[in-house]
Amino acid sequence: MSHDSHHAPVASKLELAPERSDLGLIRPDRTTGWTDWLTTVDHKKIGILYGAFAMFYFLVGGVEALAIRTQLIRPDNDFVTARMYNQLFTMHGTTMIFLGVMPLSAAFFNFLVPLQIGARDVAFPRLNAFSLWTFVFGAFVLNASWLFEFAHLAGWLNGFEWHKHLAFTDFAPANGWFSYAPLSGTYGQNGQALRFTGVGTDFWIIGIQVLGIASLAASFNFICTIINMRAKGMTMMRLPVFTWMTLITAILIILAFPAITVALIELMFDRAFGANFFNPSAGGQPILWQHLFWIFGHPEVYILVLPAMGIVSEILPTFSGKALFGYPIIVFSGAVIGFLGFAVWSHHMFTTGLGPVPTAAFALLTMAIAVPTGVKIFNWLGTIWGGRVRFTPPMVLSLGFIWMFMCGGFSGVMHSSAPADSQQQDSYFVIAHFHYVLLGGVLLGLMAGLYFWFPKIFGRMPNAPLAYIASGMVILGFNLAFGPMHYLGLAGMPRRTHTYHAGNGWETWNYVATIGAYILGAGVFLAFANLAWTAFKGKKCASDPWGGRTLEWSLPSPVPEYNFAQAPIVATRDAYFEDKHGGKRIAYENDGGEAGVHMPSQSWMPLVASTGFLFAGFGMPMMAMGVPHAGWIVITGLGVLILGIWLWAVEGPGGYMLKTPAASGSPAPAETAAH
Amino acid sequence: MSETAAAHDAPTSTGIDHKKLIMWLFLASDCMFFGTLISTHLLYRKLYPSGFTDAEGHQRFIQNLFNIELTSFSTFILLMSSFLMALAVSAMHKGEIKSFRRNVLGVIFFGLIFLGCQVFEFTHFYHQGLTIQNSVLGSTFYVLTGTHGTHVAIGVLWLILMYFYSFTGKLGGHTGALDVEVAGLYWHFVDIVWIIIFTAVYLVEYLGPNGFWGTGLPAVTK
Repeated sequence: MSHDSHHAPVASKLELAPERSDLGLIRPDRTTGWTDWLTTVDHKKIGILYGAFAMFYFLVGGVEALAIRTQLIRPDNDFVTARMYNQLFTMHGTTMIFLGVMPLSAAFFNFLVPLQIGARDVAFPRLNAFSLWTFVFGAFVLNASWLFEFAHLAGWLNGFEWHKHLAFTDFAPANGWFSYAPLSGTYGQNGQALRFTGVGTDFWIIGIQVLGIASLAASFNFICTIINMRAKGMTMMRLPVFTWMTLITAILIILAFPAITVALIELMFDRAFGANFFNPSAGGQPILWQHLFWIFGHPEVYILVLPAMGIVSEILPTFSGKALFGYPIIVFSGAVIGFLGFAVWSHHMFTTGLGPVPTAAFALLTMAIAVPTGVKIFNWLGTIWGGRVRFTPPMVLSLGFIWMFMCGGFSGVMHSSAPADSQQQDSYFVIAHFHYVLLGGVLLGLMAGLYFWFPKIFGRMPNAPLAYIASGMVILGFNLAFGPMHYLGLAGMPRRTHTYHAGNGWETWNYVATIGAYILGAGVFLAFANLAWTAFKGKKCASDPWGGRTLEWSLPSPVPEYNFAQAPIVATRDAYFEDKHGGKRIAYENDGGEAGVHMPSQSWMPLVASTGFLFAGFGMPMMAMGVPHAGWIVITGLGVLILGIWLWAVEGPGGYMLKTPAASGSPAPAETAAH
Repeated sequence: MSETAAAHDAPTSTGIDHKKLIMWLFLASDCMFFGTLISTHLLYRKLYPSGFTDAEGHQRFIQNLFNIELTSFSTFILLMSSFLMALAVSAMHKGEIKSFRRNVLGVIFFGLIFLGCQVFEFTHFYHQGLTIQNSVLGSTFYVLTGTHGTHVAIGVLWLILMYFYSFTGKLGGHTGALDVEVAGLYWHFVDIVWIIIFTAVYLVEYLGPNGFWGTGLPAVTK
């Protein structure tokens, strides 16, 4: 390789003089503090950053949800305007899915996958940093729409000429999280591109596009990592289930996201350049948007839920003291769910008049996808059955996951019946269904994962009594909030309506649901506050506090930057558990030690390249607003992006050799090397 | 593993290099990307088989518009650029840097010819009255072929940078050959996609007496 190969192994990167790239730029390599976090290529730090941002946006989305519920607490309420309400529910859904659940899953992918497969990093460390910062800027662009909205409400924009010409002034997205055309699109002939909505939709389009780039880049990286960087002996059928589910999720992302990417490009062309993809006045078919959206949107549901299933599949065996029941079947079911996930999108569109044959086909396929899901649930029950169950906070949350997710699954099977679905469409019954799946399912699973792996991430144990209280509040509040919505939906209450009149029989349960939402919100806040406190001040704990089964528990906590002082060689599934209690020990390769392990160099370039998206993300909606010269912001953004990628390419991977504590034949010692 | 080079080129579990694998994954994703765009175009062709209305209000048929000889020529050029790309990759594997440079210049040149034909085609179609704004056909056609053109342009830019990089002396050995091969994968893929677009968007319009979609216009009245 290049100049970087000549470094002698060092005990800490700070011992080395700053490395210069070929262009003479100083690499931000031997740094600490802020620079270190902004330029890190360490998958563990990137995972922590993903988690921190995701938890922040969970709280943002939660505040939006509470505003929605407060508006609905009583009939004819005027807590928020109808206009604001539209923006709230749109941003709530978008935030929770794209800025809450997906990045929190990504936090686990980042932190865990290399550790679970016995690798020292991901396949492309700088690309990983690029994914992180692109996500951060995409999220910022999406939420910056709120800043414009508040500036508008405060009257600060009134003096601007362009502001006087706006036909619509909803600055935050207001179409619902799936932004159906033609509401999100245009009308009129010959490129008039008259709109139904304000620039919020443009913020949404560019924000989701940028977030999609982040997800795609991360997924390429993780598939590559899982397929190519497994430790010796780590065959595919010895992979921890979480890693398996990560692999399937990443495959879903790379195959499903292009559909939304194209749909967003088409919608952007409609809005910005007067194209006619979804313009009904010029022959465009708004239904095409629904198809393209749900070809992405339904796999997206499994993109959200499979990581949580993987987390639960790690936690249940640990606290049942048994191996996962039917490992191959769990893996296979996950793959079948991923595969069938592409064949059921039209069940979101039963009421659009697809015709009897497609409707029947999609109904049958949707029922079929319940089978592998049910198989998984029975396998989890089989895992607990006869085990010595320890009701730790992660276990309680995992059991909550199974229970709540199952309820969501039951109402899901009800939806698969097209005639029933046509009654439930756009009612609160649907809201109840997918919140049981996404909140009762996914969020509980992710919270279980947080409580399970926090001791590994920070070497500190979360406060257990608080965790129990928070878990109880979340599960209780959640059921109070969303259980009644089944009834409300069947009693006819439509979703996405900012208020309702008294006398429909909806008052009581809406009141109950809102109280439940407050309890839920307080519970989630408490759970996150507990975790945040733990990260800095929590009680220190041993490196394997739960009696873990997979390789990450064989490492010290917090995990040293090189992960494995010597690369492990595994001989079985659940390698660390077998190492402790079974006959098959983990062997270690004769590397590391004084010779050191190769560490990638840090870089500014992923951050610089991502900044281009920040410019483009602001520029596009500002063009739509009619702000003069906003197009230059977009062009600057593209320039910054290309410049960043070019500098990234010529900078080279760099790297240095880091000494590790010598440890032959046994797992790395509990105390970490100085770093 | 005291050799640092060994750490750089640590053997992968599958024996496939990371860069090559990630390019294949990207191409899998790009298949879905172009699949969506091509589907959009074909759906609207089926729905509106009769072409578009130009600015004067005249009904125009797509066969009047297309210059199939020109597009066949540019398709042939792109195919031949793939041949040169294969030669460039092969040269790099043998360490023949001069041969690599010659062939890659050829690829760049052919890629630019293709892009030039596309620019000409777009201009010509625009003057014939097909715009992105006046019909669904214009929207789907320009966005689909324009997206492909963008892919070609990115490929050309990539190869130009690689060409100049080769003069720094750093493009060599196993890593250099791998980098060129990965660029080659991308280039071949973009070429294959064009073969599909050329068939699905251009050639089928000339099938049968009325074109594949039944436009009511004999294909021969160009």
